[in-house]
Amino acid sequence: MRMDMKVIEGDDGISHVVLDGRFDIQGAQEIDSRFDELAKSSKALVVDLAKVSFLASLGVRTLMLSAKTLIRRGGEMTVCGANENVEKVLRTTGFNEVAGIYPDYESAARTLRERLAGFSGKQG
Amino acid sequence: MSEPQPRTCSRDFPGTVEAASEAENWVARQASVLGLDEEAEFAIGLCLEELFLNAVQHGHANRASISVCAEPQGVTVEFADDGEPFDPTLAPAKRINGPTDDFDIGGYGTGLMQRFSRRMSYRRSEGMNRLVLEFAASP
Repeated sequence: MRMDMKVIEGDDGISHVVLDGRFDIQGAQEIDSRFDELAKSSKALVVDLAKVSFLASLGVRTLMLSAKTLIRRGGEMTVCGANENVEKVLRTTGFNEVAGIYPDYESAARTLRERLAGFSGKQG
Repeated sequence: MSEPQPRTCSRDFPGTVEAASEAENWVARQASVLGLDEEAEFAIGLCLEELFLNAVQHGHANRASISVCAEPQGVTVEFADDGEPFDPTLAPAKRINGPTDDFDIGGYGTGLMQRFSRRMSYRRSEGMNRLVLEFAASP
């Protein structure tokens, strides 16, 4: 197993996705379908990259595909905990334009909670 | 006191996606042998994944070879493949600009290679694409 993926569903409607491993070709293939399913059924995802040591082309593709699915459904994605190199990859592609990058889970989740509350307020 | 000798390694791979994954594993294993630091290993692994996938999926390459040479001044990687001619140094770097839900999910590899390598040079010879990438020196 190259990449481990755990999903912790919060009471606040936010899914905390904890990835652990190398997000390379093999790692991306291992979690692609689960990630896609999650993006189709969740409203807010925090993708925790604190234990991801490597991220390359196919890993970025997995993140972008899920972010796009989620955004088009009216949802939101943020990432947190990325190491320096992983964050450099995300910023180079412009991924940070569609999904916020935060240092830790709490700050990422807080932002999503505020946005979800604002969205609910507008709906009501 | 003598100058440190360059540390080198090279290997041939078949042109398959599975081999691209094996190439990544191979580079990770060679990192300690070559004395590469974490940053160089990350940058080289990232560039090789992109090059390998391009060569196999778009260039229809049947084989590829990778050579790595680590010296005090920097690390040089040559990636050669027998796929269709393609010069990644001429390809534009793509980036998502501004919040949108209408963005491509692929095609960012050239920009990543440009960002993570110090220099890239391309030539086509004897039916092979030959890309030389230079990376910052390991400490």
